[in-house]
Amino acid sequence: MLSTIVQNLLNALQWGSFYALIALGYSLVYGVLLLINFAHGDVFMVGAYIGFFVATFLLTQAAGLPGWVVLAVTIPATMALTAVVGVTLERVAYRPLRRKGANRLYVVITALMAGLILEHGNLALLGASRKKFPELINEVVYTVGGVSFTNLKIAVILAAFAVFVLLHFIVTRTKIGMAMRAISYDKFAVPLMGIPIDTVIVFTFILGSSMAGLAGVLFAMSYPVLEPYMGALIGWKAFIAAVVGGIGDIRGAFVGGFLLGAVEILVVAFFPSTFRDLIAFTVLLVILSFKPTGLFGVAKTTKI
Amino acid sequence: MLLEIENLVVRYGSIEALHGVSFTVDEGEVVTLIGANGAGKTTTLLSICRLPPPEAPRVAEGDIRFAGRSILAVEPHDVVRALKMALVPEGRRIFGNLTVEENLELATYARRGDPGVVKDLERVFQLFPRLRERRRQRSESLSGGEQQMLAVGRALMTGCRVLLLDEPSMGLAPVLKYEMFRALKRLNQEGVTILLVEQNAALALKFAHRGYVLDTGRIVAEGPTDHLLSNEEVKRAYLGG
Repeated sequence: MLSTIVQNLLNALQWGSFYALIALGYSLVYGVLLLINFAHGDVFMVGAYIGFFVATFLLTQAAGLPGWVVLAVTIPATMALTAVVGVTLERVAYRPLRRKGANRLYVVITALMAGLILEHGNLALLGASRKKFPELINEVVYTVGGVSFTNLKIAVILAAFAVFVLLHFIVTRTKIGMAMRAISYDKFAVPLMGIPIDTVIVFTFILGSSMAGLAGVLFAMSYPVLEPYMGALIGWKAFIAAVVGGIGDIRGAFVGGFLLGAVEILVVAFFPSTFRDLIAFTVLLVILSFKPTGLFGVAKTTKI
Repeated sequence: MLLEIENLVVRYGSIEALHGVSFTVDEGEVVTLIGANGAGKTTTLLSICRLPPPEAPRVAEGDIRFAGRSILAVEPHDVVRALKMALVPEGRRIFGNLTVEENLELATYARRGDPGVVKDLERVFQLFPRLRERRRQRSESLSGGEQQMLAVGRALMTGCRVLLLDEPSMGLAPVLKYEMFRALKRLNQEGVTILLVEQNAALALKFAHRGYVLDTGRIVAEGPTDHLLSNEEVKRAYLGG
């Protein structure tokens, strides 16, 4: 009994980690721009593909490198390249609209379109065939007291917690993090402090996209089949997790992500797996109807 | 001349808010812009700060010059960094989700490695001792007067040489009003140039060296403040008799 609980908890943490890593990208961008970046799930997909290409390139060009070295290069390279994708998206799609003072609706529609362009651009470039992510480390299965887990699963969970600590530090302790919080409170006064708003926005996209890239690699290692639409559903789910946690707050993104992971695993433990999404989203719907601003969210009040 | 506004015409969309406003501010001066609600005082300050629309209007005609150079193409954050002009906006606009200390620190964003920061922080705490007492508080928990002090302190932390103030006395109790103006006077004596926008014309004209009266987007009177104080028109329209 206990071992079943621990087993489910571990699975929940693993899925929660993926959701959390993606959710925080939605949350950071929303906090700074009040923009729901619907392309973010597809940035995660692009991250997985970038990871695939980097790893495959290293394995063929520098054959004989041990897998862990390839992984150690693939992760930061993927994070950096995915950040470039995120920043490019901001430059090409969102900034021109912001400059023209476009209504938020148009920016959200642009985000949706950008996501579709990423999906179908991938389809056009790489074709419909799925890609198999190479095995970089030997997946070792440990069994302790009836609970079995892999080194990969543990690594995913640890990575998510490390990212949380890092981001929490950036947002609460650094000046650029302070600027991010300031923008989310009152965008108007930020340039008056000598702070270039665009720099803060670019930094926000770098953070969110690089974490989506990290999630992409970790996800592709855990479930090594890549296809262009892999980011769509998981992106929607992570977005909902961010909202339930309280969008705009990184604690909310993590709590929401882990909550969604837990609910999903719990449902599957007791019901047929076809019920998973139905019940999971019903639970989240109920939470939102009691606390529409999300668990960590604060209703915005304008102060005169 | 430090700051020259020449024949400034600005528009919010198709609505013209200023119809050719000209005035100057010299280094070390205190200049005030008085006028009724909607005269264009805030619009003028926002234009000088180069904030983009929709926050500020678009400049359609005229020029804004700083030390002889047009600043129409200058980015808003560079108005603070390079020109050292800082705005204390109407309604304070402090970052309520940050502590007092964080608000002050954030204003030094562009001053990495500047040894003047420590001195400026000490100066702010000397001018407004209350901010020192409350430095770890979330700033939205401050009273209105304290928030106004923080807004001025924050502007000073940018290292500014020119202070643009939009209604710093609004909503303050009389005691705090005088405390605020004493602090501003001291700053001016220390060399800070001040452009003050006020609805409280009597207070502003007593404080400033020169003044301009703005009425529905036009300057209708100007001169040394003692002249304006004795001007019958100004007395009747803005000083209550």
